[in-house]
Amino acid sequence: MAISGQAGLLALLGAVVVGLLVPSWTGIFLVTGAVVVAIAVDLALAGSVRGLSFTRGGDRAVRLGEPASVTLTVHNPGRARVRGVLRDAWPPSAGASDRHAVDVPGRGSRTVTTALLPTRRGDRMAYRVTVRAFGPLGLAARQGSHAVAWTVRVLPPFTSRKHLPSRLDRLRDLDGRLRTLARGQGSEFDSLRTYVAGDDVRSIDWRATARSTDVMIRTWRPERDRHLMIVLDTGRTSAGRVGDIPRLDAAMDAALLLAALASRAGDRVDLIAYDRQVRASVQGASAAELLPALVNGMATLQPALVESDASGIAAQVLRRSRRRSLVVLLTGLDPDPLEQGLLPILHTLTARHVVLLAAVADPRIQEMAKARGDAEAVFDAAAAARASQERAHVAGLLRRRGVYVVDATPDELAPALADKYLELKGEGRL
Amino acid sequence: MSTRTPTQTSLSPDARRIWRAARGPVLIGAFIVAAAIVITLLRGGGTDGAVDPDSVTPAGSRAVARLLADRGVEVIRADSLKSVQDTVDGDTTVLVTQPDWLAPDRLAALRDKAGTLVAIGATGEALTALAPAVGQARTDTAKSREPGCDFKAAGSARIGGVVYRAPSRCYDGTLVFDDDVTLLGDATPLTNEQLAEEGNAALAMRVLGQHQRLVWYMPSLSDARAGAGEEKSFYDLVPAGWWFALGQVGIAVLLFAAWRARRLGPIVAEPLPVVVRAAETTEGRARLYRRARATDHAADALRAAALGRLIPSLGLPSDAQPPAVVDSVTARIGRPGAEVHAVLFGPPPNTEQALVQLADALDALVDEVGSH
Repeated sequence: MAISGQAGLLALLGAVVVGLLVPSWTGIFLVTGAVVVAIAVDLALAGSVRGLSFTRGGDRAVRLGEPASVTLTVHNPGRARVRGVLRDAWPPSAGASDRHAVDVPGRGSRTVTTALLPTRRGDRMAYRVTVRAFGPLGLAARQGSHAVAWTVRVLPPFTSRKHLPSRLDRLRDLDGRLRTLARGQGSEFDSLRTYVAGDDVRSIDWRATARSTDVMIRTWRPERDRHLMIVLDTGRTSAGRVGDIPRLDAAMDAALLLAALASRAGDRVDLIAYDRQVRASVQGASAAELLPALVNGMATLQPALVESDASGIAAQVLRRSRRRSLVVLLTGLDPDPLEQGLLPILHTLTARHVVLLAAVADPRIQEMAKARGDAEAVFDAAAAARASQERAHVAGLLRRRGVYVVDATPDELAPALADKYLELKGEGRL
Repeated sequence: MSTRTPTQTSLSPDARRIWRAARGPVLIGAFIVAAAIVITLLRGGGTDGAVDPDSVTPAGSRAVARLLADRGVEVIRADSLKSVQDTVDGDTTVLVTQPDWLAPDRLAALRDKAGTLVAIGATGEALTALAPAVGQARTDTAKSREPGCDFKAAGSARIGGVVYRAPSRCYDGTLVFDDDVTLLGDATPLTNEQLAEEGNAALAMRVLGQHQRLVWYMPSLSDARAGAGEEKSFYDLVPAGWWFALGQVGIAVLLFAAWRARRLGPIVAEPLPVVVRAAETTEGRARLYRRARATDHAADALRAAALGRLIPSLGLPSDAQPPAVVDSVTARIGRPGAEVHAVLFGPPPNTEQALVQLADALDALVDEVGSH
């Protein structure tokens, strides 16, 4: 049960009665008794909360930053009207506007809509529905809670979507332009055409020329149906915040853009998220269902505060991709974890696959490196310079072992990774 | 898209569940209360009631009250000053068990009105008011003492407490007769426990049985303030009815508190993500440099960064040696070689001031090379 402010006001009014009319213990007893009786009567006349039943509907998934709405229908099987306040409680990060005034007539039902504006990725579960039903006098209310399950999955926002059209244009250019380029490992025979001045003479197909009156050359195009393996590192380095978002979220954004681009280019894309165990895995999804599968798989990922197991990542990649693939490692470029974890086992990956390592750089470091003025700023600049040198050193080590490295700030990582992919594809290195 | 939830969704406990959860503690509480009541009844009074004519505890005084009543003395127990004043007349002994609790003027008035006033352990202001000629020497433990005066009691008695200085002293000063005031050092001879020992009973009978009536006055704390001052405070002027109204306001406040305290369902907890800024280690390293005054390490890092920008813009191989770099820079911007060498490869600065200047010099050099 609960009482309302009116009950307190009534008792306060009673103080005047006691003071003026019956200044005695009896007076207090009578007035308080009257208030208690009124509360009890009101409580008895209030509609039952225990008997209510609920039905939910509405959104089950929403992109981070977009509003969602979940409906809640209250059925009142009792005869008494249920009038009062309803709270549809959600965790704070669901951003729910959770209080509703309800007035459900006896044997009737009403629907309220809870608007959600989630502030974080992941699954948000409805906590409980609490109803406070006031009696006809408005003095007291019955209150009770019900568990009415509902889950809204908050998906990664995919803010880098805006870069997709321009990259797709470039992909189409590539398809058209590349027919004259030299063959590479990741290119396939496209067609024969007559030689025009400026073509590479090495592309002349002598047999076809012998059969024809013109000099014929072979054209090649980037091979389709290549395989991409995106590996999200969810270890401790992914928890660090750049700006206000974790590195992991920036990496997801880049992975989504890359996957969208690659699936349009006709490549197959798989994803695993790994720290010391597989946190999420998307395998063998068709082009149409790839993006939904990816955002669903990524939605609940959280950085784990453990050191990532590089050899475990390598083992997973080798097991999952038997043919030659482009392995995109979205991880940190921190010297220690890489030198001790990834570098020693890198050859097992590079022997069979093309490895591309993408890392989220911190604009704060660049900002610090430019700081001048007083001693504190210059020490900051020195520390930032040292950090950049270490990063560059590790990136150099990786490049020497045949790994492509993309190191960019969160805003630039997704387009930079997409560009690198297009470049590799253009050169037929996939 | 919707799902039908099961009918049994309520989380609030119903009456049966509340009873089930509460019956254990309620039964234990009831048992404790019952046991306490039984024990109190069996012990008959408890430890309270020292020098109380109705108390049967060792420290009580029911035995001496009975003895006096058997001898025809009317024993009246009083615990408020008003009832004492109503019953006292010239042929009355008044026993005050806590004289120090009363205002001195009230004590003096009582002394003047009563036939004899017996005070137990009076000290300070109370003593001055009752017997101005008597002084207080010290306190002593209760032990067997001889009368040592013309007090016609039956020999030795156990008594202690306050020892008085007076012209006529009995029992080493723990019993003093001063006019119609009798001062007892403590109540030992009157207690149930000690009454039968030595001459205690005789002493008690002699001291308390001087008149037909004995008013056994045990002051309560509310008497302590009485007589301290008669001026009325603001609160005395408020009509009594409004005190009850204030009580009712208190009840209203309780109701308001209950209204505000009742939450609409519990607070929802949720695990929060870790918040670690990625640049934290770099900032930590900067603070370490600062604290260690590592100007040499800082200068190394800044020079390496400047060379990293200079070498590509000069078109030199990445492993170019210092002389080659200096020559190349000199050739490009026309500054003296020694000066360029001092900026790029000179000795490390040993003050923070020098470090700041070096940083600026490096910036200027890189900018100059870039603009040529």
